[in-house]
Amino acid sequence: MLYREAGQFKSSYAEDQQIFPIRQDRIAMGVLLAVAFVVLPLAGNEYWLSAILTPLLIFALAALGLNILTGYAGQLSLGTAAFMAVGAFMAYNFVLRMPWLGILPSFILAGLCAAAVGVVFGLPSLRIKGFYLAVATLACQFFVLWAIQRIGWFTNYSSSGVITAQQVVILGVPFDTPARKYLFTLTVVALMALAAKNLMRSETGRAFMAVRDMDVAASVIGIPMMKTKLLAFAISSFYCGVAGALHAFAYLGTVEPEAYSLELSFNILFMIVIGGAGSILGSFLGAAFITLFPIFLNLASDWLQNVTGIEIQHAVVSNLRVIIFGALIIFFLIVEPLGLARLWQITKEKLRLWPFPH
Amino acid sequence: MILSVENVSLAFGGVRALQEVSFDVQEHEVRAIIGPNGAGKSSMLNVLNGVYHPQTGKIRFRGEEFTDMESHRAAAMGIARTFQNIALFKGMTVLDNIMTGRNLKMRCSFLHQALWLGPAKREELEHRRAVEEIIDFLEIQHIRKTPVGRLPYGLQKRVELGRALAAEPKLLLLDEPMAGMNLEEKQDMCRFILDVNEQFGTTIVLIEHDMGVVMDISNRVVVLDYGRKIADGTPEEVRNNQRVIDAYLGVAH
Ligand SMILES: Nc1ncnc2c1ncn2[C@@H]1O[C@H](COP(=O)(O)OP(=O)(O)OP(=O)(O)O)[C@@H](O)[C@H]1O
Ligand SMILES: [Mg+2]
Repeated sequence: MLYREAGQFKSSYAEDQQIFPIRQDRIAMGVLLAVAFVVLPLAGNEYWLSAILTPLLIFALAALGLNILTGYAGQLSLGTAAFMAVGAFMAYNFVLRMPWLGILPSFILAGLCAAAVGVVFGLPSLRIKGFYLAVATLACQFFVLWAIQRIGWFTNYSSSGVITAQQVVILGVPFDTPARKYLFTLTVVALMALAAKNLMRSETGRAFMAVRDMDVAASVIGIPMMKTKLLAFAISSFYCGVAGALHAFAYLGTVEPEAYSLELSFNILFMIVIGGAGSILGSFLGAAFITLFPIFLNLASDWLQNVTGIEIQHAVVSNLRVIIFGALIIFFLIVEPLGLARLWQITKEKLRLWPFPH
Repeated sequence: MILSVENVSLAFGGVRALQEVSFDVQEHEVRAIIGPNGAGKSSMLNVLNGVYHPQTGKIRFRGEEFTDMESHRAAAMGIARTFQNIALFKGMTVLDNIMTGRNLKMRCSFLHQALWLGPAKREELEHRRAVEEIIDFLEIQHIRKTPVGRLPYGLQKRVELGRALAAEPKLLLLDEPMAGMNLEEKQDMCRFILDVNEQFGTTIVLIEHDMGVVMDISNRVVVLDYGRKIADGTPEEVRNNQRVIDAYLGVAH
């Protein structure tokens, strides 16, 4: 009875076009933002902020980037980590070589570099689809890592191939503590998520989905195929690039190219499979699930140990984690391709009708 | 004359889908294309809006001459269509599907849209209003937020017509808009087509198997058989044409 749109009549299309047309959703979002921006930085301990929440947000941003490309525009990609690597290493180089730029412009330029790489490796999408396209993006994954490892310029000729990201300072304020790094990340991620939502509910988003759902019909109604696909690659890679820069500057600090391996690409792909392809919310749910689930599993096994007194080995827990992830991915691919976001939506629809199911 | 087709031939390998077909379409008219299965009707529409590229022949649309139409170009010039096997965007809502029909009229850059700046917001609203008019016209208000994949066949056909209308086309190509519908749905669809033709002055070329419908709503009829035009004229003339009767009865050639 609490979750209702009854009585909330929309008197104009403008009202109907809000991101959250239902009042309860707006309130929930407000509360969530207040908790994320105020309560967590004040109350959360350093470990949680720096080791869990900050990477969670960064992966959510990367997943959002991939979701724009794969979930919305229907172009499968296995190169997410490579675009993140471009973002991370180019941000490092911009800050290093043009310190007068400032950190935010450096991040934007790094994102644009990732977008350029994305467009180049997106060119095959004009001819090939699905599995073959995934293989082409795989080439991007390997090529980019190879280039960063081999070409000294990217790592400023560091002998170990490892870079140390510079400190984030904006308008003289250093973002050095876990809480500040978290807030910096949260702000960037929240703004970019809002921009993505706006984009996906406008003409650009509809063009992406049209190309995804039926490309012949899309071109017959005048949607330019080449421009739309390449724009999807560019925007997606921009998001992944900025996520990579955040990953280096606000999370890892010390970065080796190997951090952006194919495994990371797959992890982010799993986030959108579990969270929901073609959903902004799904990117966050997926990232949260994949980041938090192992922690939950550890807690559960500790608890079980205390209660039963039987010792559970670490290896068992981590194997269990892999097995459950695998099973979940298969479950979602087969049963609910639209992921957790869709389950959440169904729950809300049920709730709207509750307690009268029909 | 809004459209004329001259000596168009199209072959897929050995299959000659169209052979030296010529006909014209007058402004504001409802022009039907009929013929047995595999006669080349859909291929003709596909040539008209640049999905298929004929080997020979010319198309003249609103004074411009083409040997080979591009689908993007055709859309920009005011040709819209529906498909024989519904080609809607399954994952999108009815509203979004019809909104895509207006993509060529939207000018804001993606940066404007991402920042939801004034012009982008205004543009979105303005087109939403136009699309709501189409939704009212087609009487599909109750399903505007439903993903089209969940709709029954008859309604999907209606939504596809809506998406084509959203482009405010000069020429509307309909490929079997009433196939697979029950009587009531067919009557609705006939009414919509005639209303579009009368209210907006849209020229219509439609393919239809139901002869009753063709006789009722079309001004002139082209008959194709094995890729060739075998008759052209008013419904009355065509119905009494011996070659047409033979083609439909399957008399040997
Ligand atoms: N893309 C294609 N590739 C190969 N052959 C094709 C293609 N499209 C159509 N054809 C062939 O061209 C011929 C005409 O097909 P078309 O679809 O135009 O017929 P139609 O008159 O629309 O028939 P129907 O009433 O069954 O829809 C058929 O022999 C068909 O097999
Ligand atoms: Mg056909």
